[in-house]
Amino acid sequence: MSRRMIACDEASFLISYRHENRLGFKRWWQLQMHLLTCHLCRKYARQIDQLNNAVKHYSESCSHDTCQHHLPEEASVKIRHALSKELNAK
Amino acid sequence: MSEEEKHILEPQRWVELYGDYLFNYAIVRVNDQEKAEDLVQETFLAGLKAKDNFQGKSTERTWLISILKRKVIDTYRKQYASKESSMGEFEQEISDGDFYRSEGPFKGHWMEGKGPHSHSLMPEGELEQVELMKIIQLCISHLPPNLASVFVMKMIDEAESEEVCKELGITPSNLWVMLHRARLKMRQCIESKWLK
Repeated sequence: MSRRMIACDEASFLISYRHENRLGFKRWWQLQMHLLTCHLCRKYARQIDQLNNAVKHYSESCSHDTCQHHLPEEASVKIRHALSKELNAK
Repeated sequence: MSEEEKHILEPQRWVELYGDYLFNYAIVRVNDQEKAEDLVQETFLAGLKAKDNFQGKSTERTWLISILKRKVIDTYRKQYASKESSMGEFEQEISDGDFYRSEGPFKGHWMEGKGPHSHSLMPEGELEQVELMKIIQLCISHLPPNLASVFVMKMIDEAESEEVCKELGITPSNLWVMLHRARLKMRQCIESKWLK
């Protein structure tokens, strides 16, 4: 097992990486040792959890039409026009 | 819905029925109003062309979204293709030089002001939740385009890693580094908006 200590750059990468991947024992251990001694990375880990949850919430709320953007009127007219031109050509 | 009941297409009503919905989908993913409008138009026109392939199994809306989704991915691919000519810039974007100290006894540690400050990124109240959603969107739009496409595909579309790599022509290690970079920037951006 590696006794090498990792710094914040590697630790923060692992904090992100572990959300989609399993850390092997060595990397897991290195991260735990780093987190024991680094309050900034502990904070970082918590914030990244919060970020992931918030983005999940964001994508869900957007798919339920709550973060409403409207197709601008001008574009809507232009698209209608392009569509009907195409429809009439058939 | 019974199995015999088939969905039919009504292209005359597409803009009215799905214009906003498709525009929402597009703008969240490309963060550029004009580009999003173009994508909506291209989707409708492509839908019209492929009208005969519509089998009525899904709803009209789902079918149109599947076309748009493909178009958004094509946009990302084009961004990557144009990046190839300037690989130096790409490398720079995934290097960590602007977040961690690059020399001295604290090499690899957070640079002043680049690490987390506040205890929590998240607001308490409900009103502030709405504000937070706006901030997330704003922060995604501030990401460099290639980081944004990785972030959106992985975090919003929840695509499989293999799919993201295949579509964008990147390796898994590129992917994890870029996702990490995107999170670094997103975290910093969100925190700075709250602290303001």
